[in-house]
Amino acid sequence: MDKEITSFCLRISRSVCVALLFLVSGHRLQAQEKFIFTPQWTAQAQFAGYYVAQEKGFYKEAGLNVEIVHPSLTQPAMKRIQNKESHATTLQLCQAMEIVDGGIELVNILQTSMNNALTIVSRRGVNPLTQKGARVGIWASGASQLAFCVNKKENLGYEWVPFASNVNLFVAGAIDATVAMSYNEYYQLVQTGLPMDEKCVYRLSEHGYNFQEDGLYVTREYYDKHRDQAKKFAQASRKGWEWAAAHPEETLDIVMKYVQDNHIITNKTLQKLMLEEILRLQVDRDSGKREFRLRPDMVKKLNQLLLECNMLKHEVTYEQLIAQ
Amino acid sequence: MKLRILSFVKRSLATRMSLVTVFFAAIILIAALGYMFNVSRQAIRKEAVDRATNQLENTVLRVTNILDQVEVAANNTAWLINRHLDSPELMFEYSRRILENNPDLNGCSIAFEPNFFPGRGRYFSAYSYNNNGVIETTQEGNEHYEYFYLDWYQLCKLLDRPVWTEPFMDYNPENIYSQDMIASYCQPLKDREGKYIGTLSVDLSLSWLSNTISAVKPYPNSYSIMIGQGGTYFVHPDSTKLVYQTIFTESMEHPDTAMVNLGHAMQRGEEGMRQLKVNGEDCYVFYKPLSTTGWSVAIVCPESDIFGGFNKLRRSVTGTVIGGLLLLMLVCGRFIRHEIKPLTKLARQAETIASGDFSVTLPEEGRTDEIGQLSESFTNMQHSLVNYIEELKTTTAQKASIENELQVASDIQMSMVPRMFPAFPNRNDIDLYASMTPAKEVGGDLYDFFIQDEILHFCVGDVSGKGIPASLFMAVTRNLFRIVAPQGLPPAEIASHINNILAVDNDRGMFVTMFIGKADLRTGHLDYCNCGHNAPVIDGQFLKMQYDNQPLGLWEDDPFYGESIENIKDKQFLLYTDGLNEAENPEKELLGNTRLIALMQDAQDMSARQVVDMLKAVVEEHRAGADPNDDLTLLCLTIKG
Repeated sequence: MDKEITSFCLRISRSVCVALLFLVSGHRLQAQEKFIFTPQWTAQAQFAGYYVAQEKGFYKEAGLNVEIVHPSLTQPAMKRIQNKESHATTLQLCQAMEIVDGGIELVNILQTSMNNALTIVSRRGVNPLTQKGARVGIWASGASQLAFCVNKKENLGYEWVPFASNVNLFVAGAIDATVAMSYNEYYQLVQTGLPMDEKCVYRLSEHGYNFQEDGLYVTREYYDKHRDQAKKFAQASRKGWEWAAAHPEETLDIVMKYVQDNHIITNKTLQKLMLEEILRLQVDRDSGKREFRLRPDMVKKLNQLLLECNMLKHEVTYEQLIAQ
Repeated sequence: MKLRILSFVKRSLATRMSLVTVFFAAIILIAALGYMFNVSRQAIRKEAVDRATNQLENTVLRVTNILDQVEVAANNTAWLINRHLDSPELMFEYSRRILENNPDLNGCSIAFEPNFFPGRGRYFSAYSYNNNGVIETTQEGNEHYEYFYLDWYQLCKLLDRPVWTEPFMDYNPENIYSQDMIASYCQPLKDREGKYIGTLSVDLSLSWLSNTISAVKPYPNSYSIMIGQGGTYFVHPDSTKLVYQTIFTESMEHPDTAMVNLGHAMQRGEEGMRQLKVNGEDCYVFYKPLSTTGWSVAIVCPESDIFGGFNKLRRSVTGTVIGGLLLLMLVCGRFIRHEIKPLTKLARQAETIASGDFSVTLPEEGRTDEIGQLSESFTNMQHSLVNYIEELKTTTAQKASIENELQVASDIQMSMVPRMFPAFPNRNDIDLYASMTPAKEVGGDLYDFFIQDEILHFCVGDVSGKGIPASLFMAVTRNLFRIVAPQGLPPAEIASHINNILAVDNDRGMFVTMFIGKADLRTGHLDYCNCGHNAPVIDGQFLKMQYDNQPLGLWEDDPFYGESIENIKDKQFLLYTDGLNEAENPEKELLGNTRLIALMQDAQDMSARQVVDMLKAVVEEHRAGADPNDDLTLLCLTIKG
């Protein structure tokens, strides 16, 4: 009896020890597992909130071991997501809808942009919408769906010239106009010294095309399996963006650290202007607040436009995109 | 403090004179030096412009030669490519050969439009590059390197002409930018129909170019820059700006019109020189375009470098001049102060003299100049002053004595006329009051009255002239009246007696006008004789008289005629001298008879004393501070019924 009791006790204590060991080691494994975030472009202030969350330890506080890996020519962000080399990326809303329409299910875990930054800038000192049939530069890498829609809806008949970088083509006069993000290429063009009259700049957001852009996405598959991690990453990222809005000077220093580490050809002035514009785009026009949410009305309206312009085969609903 | 300095300058002749001297000396020096500095500065500026322009031109020429060689090599190869468009393999050969023949080149791409060569796939770009002296050749296009979208491929295609791309940092295999900057000369390739088929691009390392341009240093702190067509710095001493910034970047945050204008001028391919602030320092910037590349080279020369020696010289000359002027002011001040020292002593001693001490001895400087003459004149003046003061003392003493005597004479004269009022305190039927006010210490007016046997004798007279002679004549006349009147003679007889006495030995021709009256106090009957005197006022009207006798003392034995009034009881009777109606104000306007009558008509109910006081007050008021122009005598009489 005593032997049995002793043996029972030993078994119990062994089981408790094994369970404790498992719990401890399991927690460690979970903590050490890397969460790899790949923004959709090279290091710049467009991703300031994520750099802040990393540098200020918001991800660590959330129990995440985040690594930020920027995309390269051979390793674009979506390719890394599809190959499961990265867990989250940023995408413009229309890009995400196009990808979901193409069969890859994505979940928007955090919406940062509340406004559209796309512009069409004329080289000829006129309103780009009056330049029918003009040669207009467009990103060879994509993200140009809205520009195509405007071309179709406004019956502009643009001749698109895909480019890797538009600045030199624009300066040399090889193109009549170009698409430009108000936070990035627009300032690069201003930096060339070309006179940039406001009448030469067609801001889509001011003409009925104000659709949300950057959001944080993971695959539906990843989200279903690691819902908690995805949520923590989204919350810590939001905290990073809120901190960035409250501390733009320090944020700029953090951005410049990433820019320099990644040997990006830019400068502090451009990044400062980019950060200011990105933070401005995060404020919802109706509420005047940083809402960090996808707006169902915008998703619906964007669906209509993309379907009309044959950019989508099927409607991609708000419910399909959000984390349920 | 400022006021104290001004006050000191005002008080000090030496300071004022030295300041004026230094001021004019400074004006002349500033004008002369300003002209000299200006001419020198222009000469130095011209020399600097020539120097920098020459160096810039030489550098641009050297760089252009290299660029031309690259262009010639590319043109020759393009011709070969067009002849062998059916042999893709030859493209590798040509790209290799151009590097072999031109060791300065880094790489060469012969790239074609997508799917140009059948069976060769979407990408075909024959690329050779210099790998540390070994020429490697490869096909570089693939899905990760879609050359169609790159500047070097697209620019010449879109512009339909050969172009130089903007310089760019070369990638190394790890996707990291190397420090080696390259630029590509690109030429569009066309088939026999003239249709664009691809791009020939030759890469030139810009290390040599960069070093050549950087080495241009006409002045120790000057430096060279080169910007691309988009304003990007491709040569700049500050490596943090290289490639990362354009000439306009800083202006985006801190607007700098001069820098922006310079950038635009360089972008337009202009050549010239501008003066502007670079990093807060005044600089001269000389710029010139680099061949047909669209790039522009500039030499930035700090003004302090160009004009360093000149500025140093200018500072030292200016310092010397300022020092010299200060010294001049000091020496001038001391010299003038020394020269005018006797004047200071003189001034001090003049003050002593002015205070009444005439015993001071003036300094003997022994000088014969203006100051010496002044000192001598001052000494003479002192002596004259001493004498004058002595005389003045005597005269003043004499005058005081005369004044004293005059005062005595005045008292005596005043005591000669009745001054006790009421004149007849025991009688209620007579209201009489009189007053005599000489214009000077003593006067020539007189009045008198007395009662004898119920007869009131009275008179008022005015001697011609004023002062002591008139007063003596008055005294004589009054005494004669006192002697003659009591003899019971009628007024005309009294006048005749007095006249005859006065006229004897009256060599000076003095005379006296006089009104002589005798009133019977019981009946009110008045006998009178008016000897050239003012007509009395009776009950507010001038007394109308039949005879106007001559004044007394002029002509002996001339007859005098008397008149009478039946009853003057209860009638106000005023006798006066012309000191009343002819009293003058400062504007020489007379009081006048009209005013006198008006006054007297308003004074019907007044007593004799009130009338006299009122008239004296009116005269005082009319004179308005002016000295009295004549003696004033008033006598007012009412015999009550």
